[in-house]
Amino acid sequence: MTSRLLAADIVRVGSIGLRTRRLRATLSAVGIAIGIASMVAVLGISQSSKADLLTQLDKLGTNLLTITPGESLLGEAATLPLTAPKMIARLDPVQQVATERTTDASVHRTSYIPAARTNGISVRAADTDLLATLNGTVARGVFLNEANVRYPAIVLGSVAAQRLAIRSLEGGPMAYVGGRWFTVVGILDPLPLAPDIDRSALVGYPIAQELLGAAADAGTIHVRIDPDSIDEIRPLLPATANPENAEEVQVSRPSDVIEARAAAETAYTSLFLGLGAVALLVGGVGIANVMVISVLERRSEIGLRRALGAGKRHISIQFLSESLLLAALGGLTGALIGVLVTAGYALARDWAISIPAYAPIGGLVASLLIGGVAGLYPAVRAARLSPTEALRAV
Amino acid sequence: MSTSPLTAAQQALDATVPALELRQVRKSYPGGVEALRGIDLTIGHGELVAIAGPSGSGKSTLLHIAGTLERASAGAVWIDGQNTAAVSDAELASLRANSIGFVFQQFFLLGGMSALDNVATGLLYTGTRSDERRRVARELLERVGLGHRLGHHPAQLSGGERQRVAIARALLGQPAVVYADEPTGALDSRSGAEIVSLLQELNREGTTIVVITHESHVAAAMSRQVTMHDGLIANDSAGPHGR
Repeated sequence: MTSRLLAADIVRVGSIGLRTRRLRATLSAVGIAIGIASMVAVLGISQSSKADLLTQLDKLGTNLLTITPGESLLGEAATLPLTAPKMIARLDPVQQVATERTTDASVHRTSYIPAARTNGISVRAADTDLLATLNGTVARGVFLNEANVRYPAIVLGSVAAQRLAIRSLEGGPMAYVGGRWFTVVGILDPLPLAPDIDRSALVGYPIAQELLGAAADAGTIHVRIDPDSIDEIRPLLPATANPENAEEVQVSRPSDVIEARAAAETAYTSLFLGLGAVALLVGGVGIANVMVISVLERRSEIGLRRALGAGKRHISIQFLSESLLLAALGGLTGALIGVLVTAGYALARDWAISIPAYAPIGGLVASLLIGGVAGLYPAVRAARLSPTEALRAV
Repeated sequence: MSTSPLTAAQQALDATVPALELRQVRKSYPGGVEALRGIDLTIGHGELVAIAGPSGSGKSTLLHIAGTLERASAGAVWIDGQNTAAVSDAELASLRANSIGFVFQQFFLLGGMSALDNVATGLLYTGTRSDERRRVARELLERVGLGHRLGHHPAQLSGGERQRVAIARALLGQPAVVYADEPTGALDSRSGAEIVSLLQELNREGTTIVVITHESHVAAAMSRQVTMHDGLIANDSAGPHGR
């Protein structure tokens, strides 16, 4: 026959220390809470951010390829033949093709600014299909079309409009381009897949050739392809665009940049997770510390419990469950704080809130493990205390 | 009477099995200190015994061994017919939970817990359900005259009241024997006298009580006096083998 402690009583006995020393219990649980909160928040924020990037990517499409002429063997800028866009458009899976090229002109609000000061804005000649191919939209006015490509009309990318301080089309704003005044007919929304266009002022090919001395060939070709065929068609593009010098042609996929950004954030995530783990560890040491002190202070209670019939087992269960309760308290609070922080950050960034389920659950499990390890030594020490020795301590 | 170990079958037949029986109990500590040098003591059910003697006479060690908190170096200890030498630590704990009650000089009540819950702790390690523990605890608190202090915390009670709570806790499981270690040692003389008469009253109702004391008037108030000196029983008012 052995003495027994009912399961229902284990929690009651294990929580005595917490109930009678509340400040100490709170402070030691805070360490765990901080660790768990930071880990849950890091995982939540990173997942929310990644989810947002992927939603963006879905909207933009991963089937856009950009073809540039590259460089010749001698390191000179190569050119694409004039026929390149048409040849590419003949490939079956190609859905849309549009071209653009840079010019030497610069764009300004007034004629008094030296042309060399470009403010980082380039002037490009563009196809009327460019916006549709890039899945872009106009914020104000219209894009280049058959009606305005022959006239001095200009469309500003989102960053270019900002730098020129042209926010609306009211009053018919004008821009000074290559010694001529152009009418601003449209302002674009940001184009995440073509940040170069954001920093450009776009004019039609005919007017660019006429007034800005631009060449007729394509500088860059943007291609929308059937997403299922993209891997088969990509290797064919250089030879199709420039059969004579296929090796010069460069083909890139702009969505890769966004995917790389998502991956780069993962690297930061592991760094912050590591910091959270350190906080958790320190929290665990804090709990172990408090438990060791608790065992020293409560020697007479241990002696009394042994006299009342508690076995060594019951004493270790009591202190182990106290440590587990402390850690669980910290873990729960931490998980809750982590979720709230994620929610707050996501709302502020206008993201959808997305928290991986394993973050709060894993956090709780981790804090229980830490609590168990932290409580083990004090619990064993308490159980080893001989009853008479414990009772002698007053 | 027989001094051989009693089997369970004999126990059932023999209604006179003693509450406590010590045979040639010795206790020595590392370093050569001999606290007990051969104690023979038999205490029957329903007795009220004082174990008296100067400090260092071995009475605390005797209490620890008779209460199974410590094991004897030699000799045998039976509690309610159970041989304590042959059982494991866990079984000794069970014996304490079910057959032994303790009252201490320092009360050892748990803070942050009402008088009722403190008394209920007396049955915590017997596997009794919490509502049943509290029901019995309430009855006992009323019996020791603290029916009006059930919800008070130890800090809100006087010394005498705290010792009554501790006595109620010791009696909760109807143990075969209750050991009281200097129960009046931390009390003023009036509260001390009240505790002594409470112990007498509880004994009249059938509880076996062994009081360890160095105060002669407390010892005199018990029905049998055992005096210890230098680890031996110097005098036993009931003779060498008890009643």
